[in-house]
Amino acid sequence: MRLLSDVGEHVEVGHGGSPGAGRFERVVLPHLSAGFTLAMYLTGNKADAEDAVQEAILRAVRYFSTLRDEDARTWFLTIVRRVCFTAYRTDRPQGTDIMSIDAAGPQLVDDRDQPDVAAERMQVQQRVRAAVDQLPPLLRETIVLRELQSCSYAEVAAVTEVPIGTVMSRLSRARARLAVLLNDVVDFGDVA
Amino acid sequence: MKERRDLGRAVREALPVYEAPSSLNAWALEEARKVDLQALPQPEPHSHALKSREWRLSRWSIAASLAIAVAAGWGAGVLWPGSRTTSVTNATTSELVDAHVRSLLPGHLVDVASSDRHTVKPWFAGKTDIAPTVIDLSDKGFPLLGGRLDYVDGHTAAVLTYGRRGHTINLFIWRTSANEPADGSFAVRGYSLLHWSTPGLGLWAVSDAAMSELESFRKAYMQ
Repeated sequence: MRLLSDVGEHVEVGHGGSPGAGRFERVVLPHLSAGFTLAMYLTGNKADAEDAVQEAILRAVRYFSTLRDEDARTWFLTIVRRVCFTAYRTDRPQGTDIMSIDAAGPQLVDDRDQPDVAAERMQVQQRVRAAVDQLPPLLRETIVLRELQSCSYAEVAAVTEVPIGTVMSRLSRARARLAVLLNDVVDFGDVA
Repeated sequence: MKERRDLGRAVREALPVYEAPSSLNAWALEEARKVDLQALPQPEPHSHALKSREWRLSRWSIAASLAIAVAAGWGAGVLWPGSRTTSVTNATTSELVDAHVRSLLPGHLVDVASSDRHTVKPWFAGKTDIAPTVIDLSDKGFPLLGGRLDYVDGHTAAVLTYGRRGHTINLFIWRTSANEPADGSFAVRGYSLLHWSTPGLGLWAVSDAAMSELESFRKAYMQ
C-alpha cells in the first residue's frame, strides 16, 4: 500500500488547532506521530510503519463511534499495535540489523544538542538502541510505551491488551535483559 | 562514561521519537476531514430540483428500510417482498450476512488494504476467474478500503470493501450461475442486502447501513 503521491507535501497540518476542525481531526490526528513512533519500533522500518498507521487510520474511521474522547491516544495506539501485530513482522531474527536506527536520521528529536554530544555518549546511545531493538516485540513495545512515550501502567496495559500485572512483569523482564547488555552504562538499581 | 543514567533516561536519550511523515499527515488530514464532513448533519437541499427529488426518493427508501426493520422485528429471516418475487434462498442471504459479519472481526476485513484501485485490482488477478471493476468512490462518499477473497454459498467471491459514514459495505462479486436470483433487496438479521447483476456477474452489497445507502452505493458503483 503506497501513499497517494498527489496529496502533496504542501498541505499545512495544524494538529488540534483549527477551531472549525471536526471531531476526528481534533481527537485522533494529534496522536498520529505517537502511533507512527510505536509502529516504527514494532515493524522496524519506515515503509511498513507508514502503511500500518495508514491502515490504523482507516480502521479508526470505521470504529470511530466507539471512541470516547479522553481515551483517544490509548485507543489509537491500540489500533496501530493490532495492525502491526497482525499484518507485519515484529520480531527481529537474531543478527538482523536494526534499520530503525539508520532510518531515524534527521528525524531524531534529540538531535538539537548534537554539537555538544560527546562521541562517547553517542556510543552509549547506539548501544541502548541496539539493545532495545533486540528485545522480543512484547518486551520492546512495553519499554517504548512506558519509557519513551511516558504511558502510565494502566495505559500500557490498555494498549497492549493485558492486565497491569503482566505489564509489570514484562517491564521487569525487559529491564533484566537490558541490564545484561547495558549494565556498565545504565544504572539499573537492584535489578542488575 | 562516569555517570550512569537510569533506564528511563537512557532510553529517552537514545531512542528517537518519530514524526509522522508529512505525506502521511496530509493523507490522514484528508481522511479526517472526510469523516468529519460526513458526520455533520446533511443539509436539506432545496435549491436544486433534481437534488430534492433524490432527497424525497431517499426518504422513501429510509421509510421502506424502517418498515423492513419493523417487519423483521416480528418476522423471521428474509422479509422483503420487493417489487417482484425473488427465488433467492435463505441460505444465500444468510451466508452473505455471515460472511459480512465475519469480515468485521479484527483482521478479517481485507486481504489487500488500499484505497488505490491500481493496487486492489491487480491483487485479484490469478486469485479468481473474474476481474471485478475496482473503483474508489471516495468522492461519492464511499471510500474504497480494500479487497479480499471469500467463499460464499458455493461461490468464490471477489469482495470489495467500502466505507460509509462509519459503516462498512462489502460488495461480493461472483460469476453468475444458472439459478442466480433476480435482482432485489433483502433484510436479514438487521443487515441490508442489495442484489443486482451485470452480464455474467452477480453482485451483492451487504451492510448494516440503511437500504437507501446501498441504493446510492449501487448507483455510484455502476456509473
